[in-house]
Amino acid sequence: MSSKRHSILPPAPAGSKPPIHFSSSITIADSALLTGTHPIAIHSESVVHPRARLDSLAGRITVGRRCVVHERASLGAVVGTSGRITEAAVTLGDYVIVEVGAAIEAGETVIGEGTVVGVGARVGAGAVVGKHCTLTPHTEIAAGEVVPDFTVVYSNGMRRTDKRGAAELRNKGLARQIDVLRRMIPSNPAKFA
Amino acid sequence: MSSRRPPRGEYIETDTGNKVARKATLVGTQNIMLGGKTVIQPEVMIRGDLIRTIQASSQSASGAAPNSTAVSIGRYCFLSRGCCLRPPGRLYKGAFTYMPLRIGDHVFVGAGSVVQAATVGSHVHIGAKVAVGEFAIIKDYVRILDGTVVPPNMVIPSFSIVAGQPARLIGEVPEGGHEAFELRDIYKTVGNNPQPAPS
Repeated sequence: MSSKRHSILPPAPAGSKPPIHFSSSITIADSALLTGTHPIAIHSESVVHPRARLDSLAGRITVGRRCVVHERASLGAVVGTSGRITEAAVTLGDYVIVEVGAAIEAGETVIGEGTVVGVGARVGAGAVVGKHCTLTPHTEIAAGEVVPDFTVVYSNGMRRTDKRGAAELRNKGLARQIDVLRRMIPSNPAKFA
Repeated sequence: MSSRRPPRGEYIETDTGNKVARKATLVGTQNIMLGGKTVIQPEVMIRGDLIRTIQASSQSASGAAPNSTAVSIGRYCFLSRGCCLRPPGRLYKGAFTYMPLRIGDHVFVGAGSVVQAATVGSHVHIGAKVAVGEFAIIKDYVRILDGTVVPPNMVIPSFSIVAGQPARLIGEVPEGGHEAFELRDIYKTVGNNPQPAPS
């Protein structure tokens, strides 16, 4: 408490824009936050809501086709300084939904195709979540954990297998949702270039 | 210390008595209706831009002006720091649409909660870190404890207390307990010239 000066600004130097690889058909809100030094790639028809945070300071971030990243979701949040990871990417497959306030930590983290990361859920560094999984709200996936395909994680870590076989239907519904969002969210990819 | 105080008030106070923090994020403000005397704390996010895209058949037939309200909030509501209100969305007649989120009077939303309900009644207390799923219907005088996950489409009857992940009914609001839902006093304790809470 000897320091007299209190900085209001975030500690990371402002103005450092990460290199981006955007598809021309994505929708990204003006107030999304993209920071870091590694490349951020967003593939076709994905939607990034306002105030979503993509931080590539630790490693590259790849968002697949037709993903929806909701407001306040955080991709590539750095977990303190305890676990030093040299390469710390975050990869989202296609048709992934990252709900409001969910956090996916950096560190070779992979979210498989068609997975839903629920409201306020947290995926630890290096976790590998399989395809078509459902992480219900406030779920915590520990660092380095492997979640098999079609797993539903609910109620404080209970697990079961999703046998509905509704993946195809879900993807069609998501495509419709993206169509609507594209009209509603004013997109401004040029701002991040 | 005086230099750290913001030169303008922290809140914007409207004629109808709403106190909206300057640091709140309101997207699509033209589609957000505030009933009056509502407190919106800093870092609150309200998604007014997610309006319904399909009008009800009775409305479109009569040719009335489309009602584009996305979020409507009643009187004396209190939205704590970091909470998020967003309209629920679903497939309806083969097309995707968002539906309006209606919130009654004297509704308290705790810090860090995410509300995607269809309807929240009056005198409802939602705790901190609660996730209310899409199209949940919460009736009047309901208390939702901290950390609850209300699943999508759940209907919570009046005078119930719910908790857990997923939410379960754990009790009822006791006789005469409904006075604790009044938010008039807490309304006075925030704003640009807050008054101490009456003891």
